[in-house]
Amino acid sequence: MPALEVQNLRYHYRTRRGPVRAVDDISFSVEPGKTIAIVGESGCGKTSTANAILRLLPRNVEEYEGKVLLDGQDVMQYSNEEFRQKVRWRGISMVFQGAMNSLSPTTRCGLQIAEPLIVHYDLEREEALAAAREGLKGVGLSEDVAKRFPHELSGGMKQRVVIAMALVLKPKVVILDEPTSALDVMTQANIINLLKNLQRDVRLAYIFITHDLGLASELADDVAIMYAGKIIEIGTAARIYPSPQHPYTQKLIHSVPLLRGESAPDFIPGAPPDLTSVPLGCRFHPRCPVSFKICGWSASDLESFFALRARTEADPGIQKVSAKKFEPKDSWKLVVTPKEGVAPADLAAEIQSLIAFEVAKHPVLRAVEKVHAGTSRVLITLYEARAPELTGDNGQRASCWLLTEEGKQYAAA
Amino acid sequence: MQPPELTGSPAALPVSGDGEYPQLQLDELRMWFMVGGGLFRPPMAVKAVDGVSIAMWKGETLAIVGESGSGKTTLGRVVLRLLEPTEGRLLYAGMDITHAWQRDLMWLRRKAGIIPQDPYSSVNPTFPIYRILEEPLAVHRLGTPEERAEKISRALENVKLNPPDLFQAKFPHQLSGGQRQRVAVARAMILEPEFIVADEPVSMLDASVRISILRLLRQLQRKFGITFLYITHDLATARHFSDRVGIMYAGKLAEMGPVDAVLGEPLHPYTQALIEAIPDPDPENRLRDRPALPGEPPILTAPPPGCRFHPRCPIAKPGLCDVVEPPLRELRPDHLVACHLAS
Repeated sequence: MPALEVQNLRYHYRTRRGPVRAVDDISFSVEPGKTIAIVGESGCGKTSTANAILRLLPRNVEEYEGKVLLDGQDVMQYSNEEFRQKVRWRGISMVFQGAMNSLSPTTRCGLQIAEPLIVHYDLEREEALAAAREGLKGVGLSEDVAKRFPHELSGGMKQRVVIAMALVLKPKVVILDEPTSALDVMTQANIINLLKNLQRDVRLAYIFITHDLGLASELADDVAIMYAGKIIEIGTAARIYPSPQHPYTQKLIHSVPLLRGESAPDFIPGAPPDLTSVPLGCRFHPRCPVSFKICGWSASDLESFFALRARTEADPGIQKVSAKKFEPKDSWKLVVTPKEGVAPADLAAEIQSLIAFEVAKHPVLRAVEKVHAGTSRVLITLYEARAPELTGDNGQRASCWLLTEEGKQYAAA
Repeated sequence: MQPPELTGSPAALPVSGDGEYPQLQLDELRMWFMVGGGLFRPPMAVKAVDGVSIAMWKGETLAIVGESGSGKTTLGRVVLRLLEPTEGRLLYAGMDITHAWQRDLMWLRRKAGIIPQDPYSSVNPTFPIYRILEEPLAVHRLGTPEERAEKISRALENVKLNPPDLFQAKFPHQLSGGQRQRVAVARAMILEPEFIVADEPVSMLDASVRISILRLLRQLQRKFGITFLYITHDLATARHFSDRVGIMYAGKLAEMGPVDAVLGEPLHPYTQALIEAIPDPDPENRLRDRPALPGEPPILTAPPPGCRFHPRCPIAKPGLCDVVEPPLRELRPDHLVACHLAS
């Protein structure tokens, strides 16, 4: 049985600009003694996933649903008080990003580790401190670190203290949010070795959150690639690293500068989308090098493309462009009004040749399904954007239209 | 001008054959900070940079790689004369600027720039991008308003913030981390400098954005023939984006040479350990422990005697390494190492 299983977790929060879809229907699981790495660029919902699992929610939550099974028990059903007593820190604990800089500067390290024991287990202060000293030994520090203040420790030692804090209630699952990102390479290697040994000794399950695929490979048995609030590829490390299926994963792997391999690193143009307005269809399509028709462009993308051409007189025949929703299927079409003296048929032919010659330069044109000349205007029908599902076998699943039969047919056409 | 006399460390090469001076020469440069001390206690010296000799040629990129506390950032600040060196000599294009007065260094401020580490805190949040970029021009009283506008829009185009009209009206908080760092690059470039210190320019950015910024720097360097001092803790990016690399440990250079030579055949045990400690993406990594040195870099108020690396060194020889400080030797062509045991 998995130590932790997350099913269809959804976590949105409200802002003035609309709901932020930080975590949008994600599912994964992790076995005892194993690690799943959640990898993606910043702003893709990795840390929000961790907060959602630990139910560390802000006040402006809009949607929070799904199942989180800890040892088969759905802990989403627990009341807040029950969750705090049974799950948070005892079942699932977390090493927060930059936590080593958030240690209390006025409290000795031992007491900072012992605090949850006093609060959660009602231990006596002395007993709790003894356990804290034990915990410090467990992370490779000497006992007298317990008497020291955080400013007396180096970065690597502080990070070990933070790890000891996460382990003090002997949880089954530990979420590691960028546990080494502020550390030097040598210290980083030492901490990673410590995490490996701890996992081996007590069969801890890790959820390892990072943006660094090289570092992820140090711990990951499984990898989940997150993009814009969704998992777009998930599977075993042994399969994803050598043969990534999703174009985003491929790009991400190529963006790692190698110390030994030959290939020069490449970057992913653009930035992840604003999570208040995610692109239609596949969320990666605006940055995707191989995206095509049904991957999804919204009507407004195409509208602004033609509007720009009309303004700069690249297409001298266009007077006005507007996107309109048409019944019965709620499908979007572009209505192009020709300038005076230009026949709609001529304009339609002009747009068609534009599509034929310029589609490589302007991928947005791939969204055009049909150009139709009316009596006074030109109508452009668009392919409807649909989000691809995760497909593949249990060892590796990815959500890309090019991996489906339907998508392949479209791409060939 | 009289050719400057140097102490003769092989790293601080004198004038080249065709009579040209290096862009920058550091000769046994030391930067010590005095800290602590009281009425009866003498202050202690933090030896952040302790005898570093480097010659940088025009148009090259030298990466200085080291852990935090190795003195690499201090080195970057000293060579720009943001700090006054304690000892040694610093020459810019043959000109001795070791102890020059700040007000005599306005010419250097025009010719040499810096790209800071943190794109979030290095720009004034109340200034629009236009004003951020205009400030260096205003300080140096360069150009008419029209010329400045022209320069600023060209600078934004150079760092690929297109269209410039759109970006120059924005405020820093409206930009992503990568875009802000592009603004920082544009600001460093606006005075058309010949020398730029880039202090960890990408360490705060996402992995996928890092490469685009480093590529941009490489392109600008080729286009304008800029000399770059790239300060980083990341050997992997140093490998792909620099010509030479110097490995710093506890205020001293441990090894320096062409990037392929140093990474292909590391001569110093510290460099070897550093390379070993960095993983390349490989699912096999999870099955074995990563070779890593125990311990921490020394405290710079009281560095260990002899070779500063000897307490952590796997091959240190008692009686030699803990007594005699190893000099930087040219063991291979252009490839220098400070280790008694390297051969």
